[in-house]
Amino acid sequence: MAESGPIPAWRHTGSRRRLLLLLIVLIPTVISSNTMARLLPDRGSILLDTFLVAVFTTLFAWISVGFWTSIAGLVILLTKKDSYRVSRACDGLDLSIADSSARTAILIPIYNEEVNRVISGLRTTFHSVRETGSLDRFDFFLLSDTTDPDIWVEEEEAWHRFCREENAFGRVFYRKRTSNTKRKSGNVADFCRRWGKSYRYMAVFDADSIMSGETLVRLVQIMEGRPDIGILQTPPKAVNRETLIARVQQFANHVYGPLLAAGLHFWQLGDAQYCGHNALIRVEPFIRHCELPRLPGRGPLSGDILSHDYVESALMCRAGYGIWLTYDLRGSWEETPPTLIDELKRDRRWCQGNLQHTRLLFTRGFFPAHRALFINGILSYGSALLWLIFLIINSAQAISEVLFEPVYMPILRKFLPELPVWRPHWAISLLGSTTLLLFLPKFLGAFPILLADFRARLYGGKIRLFLSILLEVILSMILTPIRMVFHSLFVVSTLLGKSVGWGTQSRDDRGTRWREALRAHWWGSLLGIGWGAVVYWITPSFFWWISPITFSLAFSVPISVFTGRAAVGRLFRKAGLFLIPEEVELPPPLRALEENLSRPATFFPFPFSRKKGFLRAVVDPLVHSLHTSLLLRFRRGVPSRERARDRIVEKALAFGPDSLNRKEKTSLLRAPQHLRELHRKVWRLGDEKAAARWGLVPPEKE
Amino acid sequence: MTFPAGRPKACSAATTPEQRAAGDRVLLYVRGLGIQPARGLSLAARSLEESPASPEGAMDALERLLQEEGFSPDLLDRGGHRISSFPPMNRTVMVAEEMDRLPWRTSLVRFLRRWRRELFGGKTNG
Repeated sequence: MAESGPIPAWRHTGSRRRLLLLLIVLIPTVISSNTMARLLPDRGSILLDTFLVAVFTTLFAWISVGFWTSIAGLVILLTKKDSYRVSRACDGLDLSIADSSARTAILIPIYNEEVNRVISGLRTTFHSVRETGSLDRFDFFLLSDTTDPDIWVEEEEAWHRFCREENAFGRVFYRKRTSNTKRKSGNVADFCRRWGKSYRYMAVFDADSIMSGETLVRLVQIMEGRPDIGILQTPPKAVNRETLIARVQQFANHVYGPLLAAGLHFWQLGDAQYCGHNALIRVEPFIRHCELPRLPGRGPLSGDILSHDYVESALMCRAGYGIWLTYDLRGSWEETPPTLIDELKRDRRWCQGNLQHTRLLFTRGFFPAHRALFINGILSYGSALLWLIFLIINSAQAISEVLFEPVYMPILRKFLPELPVWRPHWAISLLGSTTLLLFLPKFLGAFPILLADFRARLYGGKIRLFLSILLEVILSMILTPIRMVFHSLFVVSTLLGKSVGWGTQSRDDRGTRWREALRAHWWGSLLGIGWGAVVYWITPSFFWWISPITFSLAFSVPISVFTGRAAVGRLFRKAGLFLIPEEVELPPPLRALEENLSRPATFFPFPFSRKKGFLRAVVDPLVHSLHTSLLLRFRRGVPSRERARDRIVEKALAFGPDSLNRKEKTSLLRAPQHLRELHRKVWRLGDEKAAARWGLVPPEKE
Repeated sequence: MTFPAGRPKACSAATTPEQRAAGDRVLLYVRGLGIQPARGLSLAARSLEESPASPEGAMDALERLLQEEGFSPDLLDRGGHRISSFPPMNRTVMVAEEMDRLPWRTSLVRFLRRWRRELFGGKTNG
């Protein structure tokens, strides 16, 4: 894309809109901050007051952006007037892709995921694309970074079975990386280097993403009609979870999400953000411009860029391509973390990734909109720490008012005392405006449903819709303090140099056990109890102001367990609360996903779990044959490594598969010669006990 | 009709435990191969014809038979090549984008160097 070409019209409009946003955020923020400054007791140190006002200003501006984004979104959704809607490019087109060279690779990067869920999702999207009649324009790639040897073998077997069942050899591919360099972004880059040139577009999925064939075809049509677009991001809808917290998130995503998406589109236009999945990417400029460097130095803000999607968007825009949000396209879904603890684990990762962006804020050539997105990402977690500090200082100030005598004559030469003046109407108007900014967008979210779409029935009816919003507000008020202390901890620990690993995301409704919740929340509970007790003891009148925070923290263990229960979520569903359209009328792709998830398992003759992938690679003749065939290297390695593998084979034969650790199993799975040798020897074991360890003795004899 | 649990006594008396283990092993292997039951049973029966005294002997016989029958230890595609899970490569390169990753540090260092040079002198081109 030529950077020196004429400036597209949307850039001028975007600049004007962003200037407007800046004004409508800044003016009320200045007024509110001024009110806040006047409300503070004068006898506090000037530095402390200034700090409080600075924190308040940042937080007020931060929530104002969200508020005005929702207002802009509401206007777009109600008026349905949007001359910059990208989906106009496919208006009136039938569901086909005319150019046969416009090929798309659907990438599903996976990392120790539940294999049945991944394959069911793949099957769903595969069938949906086939129904559009454009299957020949799409290829599917399972890109595995799995480190668990059992899951690795399970993935291979599942891929092979899928291809056999769907006759999809040559259309659905599986690739396992040896090294997980740069995690997900490295996995996608690895695809680009090997096969990227064969495709014009790639659709990046998450392991739990589902996209309908129609949506994928429409995205390709838009890209075909708009060569200036580098990335098309769909707003995925959260579905399929049953725990209370996940159902509440799903509900919020459905009711408030469209407003936010349309509002973001209003401000951002072609400078939108790529979310890392459920998006279509133009491969050629991605290969040329979006490879990420490793950040030099040591510590958690260095190394691989974790929140790669933000940076890739910025790089794509810097190269002259637009990134657009197709806020009006449906048929794109994802799943949310099932429990509070799972959500916090994910946030820990995202927090480190977003804080890394402090190092990229001033990168040459990035567009201001993307710098703003970096700041937005940093503040997503940084604001929690600011809020915590704000509350702690407020408590400290309230305590100091009780403990220390007020000074009415700070300057001795003054004749009149400085009496503290409490202006309740100022405080109430400040509290009211903050509450309005926080909660009004939530209720506005119901308007497009009630007025434009008349779809309240799909949310349980008008009364239940409003009741659900009210309950969501209450629940988010309960959960926010818990999230606040965790996010603050994440920010501090990241800045202190504690790095985060690459954990697998939990994708089932297993819930949170009491012990697990206690281990995660004990310190938060103690903090809440201690904080509340001290404030109540010294200044009981202030306690009631701070009580929503301290109560939430004190009860964080039962809150975490209760909200993570699928039974509770189902109870609310039965009452018609937090309903989403997908729960009332299941769309065909999601119905297909359900059916695929409950497909009967194929015949398996061995007396051990089919999930024991390593055991299957050694014992099961078909899986063994498949695994060794897929390994590329049949030549011998360096002698020292070969000798080490010989020893592992001996150990496995002597003590069984359970005697091997993950590293030893992986080492054998990478060595076809040794695996074949082990396969032959295991099947020839004469000792019954030894054979039983490998599952070769019928159960009645064991 | 119900069958007594375990194996018939006559059969147990006629074979040693090792031979029984050999029979079980071979049967399990052919079941694992996923071939048609009749063909699998035939292969198992043929490999046990010489009454191997141990699973090792039975598996050796089965392996020979499988080779004779044209079973490959590899999974092959339609063209007779070892199966591959990905398409032929079409390589290209991705070079990491140049980013001024520490611009404030870089500019600070440059500023301090220039300031030091200007204040205290230093190497000059002249």
